Amino acid sequence: MTDSDNPTVSFTDVEATICHIAHMIEEDKLYFVQMAGAPLMALLLGKTTRAPNVGYVVEEGAVCPKPEFPLPRMMLGSSRSHFRAVQWTGMLTVDSHAALGFMDYGLLAALQVDRFGNFNSTHIGGTYDQPERRFGGPGGANEIASQCWRTIIMTKLQKRKFVEKADFVSSPGYLDGSAGARERVGLPPETGPWRVVTAEATFGFDAETRQMRLDALAPWVSVDEVLEKMDFRPLIANNLGRMEVPSEDELKIIRADIDPGGLSTGRGEWMTIDSTTGKRAG
Amino acid sequence: MTQAPPILSAGRGEFIAPDPDAFRRYVRDHKDRRLVSKLITEQEAVARYVSDGDYLAYDQNVAVRGPASLFREIIRQRKKDLWVMAKFTWTDVSLLVAGGCVSKVDVGWMGTGPLLNRAMKAGKVKLIEWSNGALAYRLLAGSLGVPYLPMRYLGGTDTFEQSGAILTEDPYNHKPICVVPALNPDVALIHAHQADIYGNTRVFGAGICPVEMAMASKKVIISAEEIIDTGEIRRQPQRTTIPYYLVDAVVHAPFGSYPGSTQGLYGADLEQWLAFAAAEAQDKTDEYLEHWVYSMASHEEMLEKRVGQAKMDALRAAETLKEGYYD
Repeated sequence: MTDSDNPTVSFTDVEATICHIAHMIEEDKLYFVQMAGAPLMALLLGKTTRAPNVGYVVEEGAVCPKPEFPLPRMMLGSSRSHFRAVQWTGMLTVDSHAALGFMDYGLLAALQVDRFGNFNSTHIGGTYDQPERRFGGPGGANEIASQCWRTIIMTKLQKRKFVEKADFVSSPGYLDGSAGARERVGLPPETGPWRVVTAEATFGFDAETRQMRLDALAPWVSVDEVLEKMDFRPLIANNLGRMEVPSEDELKIIRADIDPGGLSTGRGEWMTIDSTTGKRAG
Repeated sequence: MTQAPPILSAGRGEFIAPDPDAFRRYVRDHKDRRLVSKLITEQEAVARYVSDGDYLAYDQNVAVRGPASLFREIIRQRKKDLWVMAKFTWTDVSLLVAGGCVSKVDVGWMGTGPLLNRAMKAGKVKLIEWSNGALAYRLLAGSLGVPYLPMRYLGGTDTFEQSGAILTEDPYNHKPICVVPALNPDVALIHAHQADIYGNTRVFGAGICPVEMAMASKKVIISAEEIIDTGEIRRQPQRTTIPYYLVDAVVHAPFGSYPGSTQGLYGADLEQWLAFAAAEAQDKTDEYLEHWVYSMASHEEMLEKRVGQAKMDALRAAETLKEGYYD
């Protein structure tokens, strides 16, 4: 129940992040999306709601498919995910398309991200040889984050995720942040992280210093609340943008078509937001 | 002119030194160029072509078109000390670790859990870091018969530090460039939609790099959903993914990627697949393996007694999309 008569909307932080990224999808660009899961769901939501003809490739070599909804719960590489592609090829081909400069955006998820957009998907705690907790590894993230022109990273706004130093740099951001750092290790010039997106805040990177910069806020959080959830202090944009509240229509598409059963999106922190004010309800 | 290219930085990851000349000699001396039937049982294929200590590569994973029945046969035959390529995989590595088959893993991406964490902590399994693309790229180098290839990623990261990649200088323009060593696996497992008895193979749909893997590997085992006539192969040569002379063994394995799916044929059995995760969480993978692998003499027996015709019919019915695969 809420104090006012305004309608409310309930969603998880994962669903909110998916909606925020969907709002960024541009129809005249090509996207390289990492595996299945939330990054692909974000692209598909954007394709459904605002950019029907946007092209994307996935690591296993499906080029610009038009997936058949509802997607199966085990969507990775399935026939429904690859339906009506323009080409079925392999990983080496799509990776090369990124190396050639065709991929405008890489779309990825990360366990940890640092000030310069370097990110971790390998282990948390301990050492490489004796990790406290081992995760899947970079997968295709390294080649995507190295070779696409711009990289969009999705993660959760938590102190243990926005860290001064990642436990392991699986994939490159701006490395030590110095000018030309990526080029000095053989990566293509003029590439790098472009946005880091969470349910509550969106970050960009300062052109001069390559440091992460808070660019936009969800209406239900304040700058201080965002900073409290970070291990380092980012730069803060002069004019902070306001992120949109996920709409019922978007949530319906996620829950009915893109992630039926909520295997990826149902897990997470639930919140109820007043659709008019954008503030937390109840 | 004799100056070597500078090594600007080198990862510390272990790898088998590429030797394209040795690979050529292996091909000359061991690969059968005759058009003869290679159709054998799964038991025979694994006994003959998978040895303890082998470097094992496979295409796709337990979710889609992976060689799952061959994994189970490897576990059943208690193969040991395998060095496994885990590019674009899922719980495959955990399954093989549960079976005691693995000592090293080249990581691109793999499903992880308590089992793998424990094996790492106990020093039973050693990981070497690459990425999905880097492992596929190493197979590409292996398939081209060259010792290494330059590439535009890996550099600057901890992944690079834990890999066998080298940062050197482009000999033409003197800019920094990362190179990775060619990979020539001892054995490759590739699950396919169709093959003839000689090994001419059709893999439908998107894949990772089945062609490069078959070319790069010393021994190649194909498991096929369907054995088709060679006349059919020759009528539509464009559909051939792998020609016969690359292949050492052909196994007929309907539902060969069960509990995963094979595109155009059957859907995944999510419940069975989650049963492994549950067994892992409860430290009961031995029971899981006993039920699904050790107590069954063959893939056929497992399908009959553990999966059952009704379930197989349901999984076939669940895969409604044929377009692009069978039309």
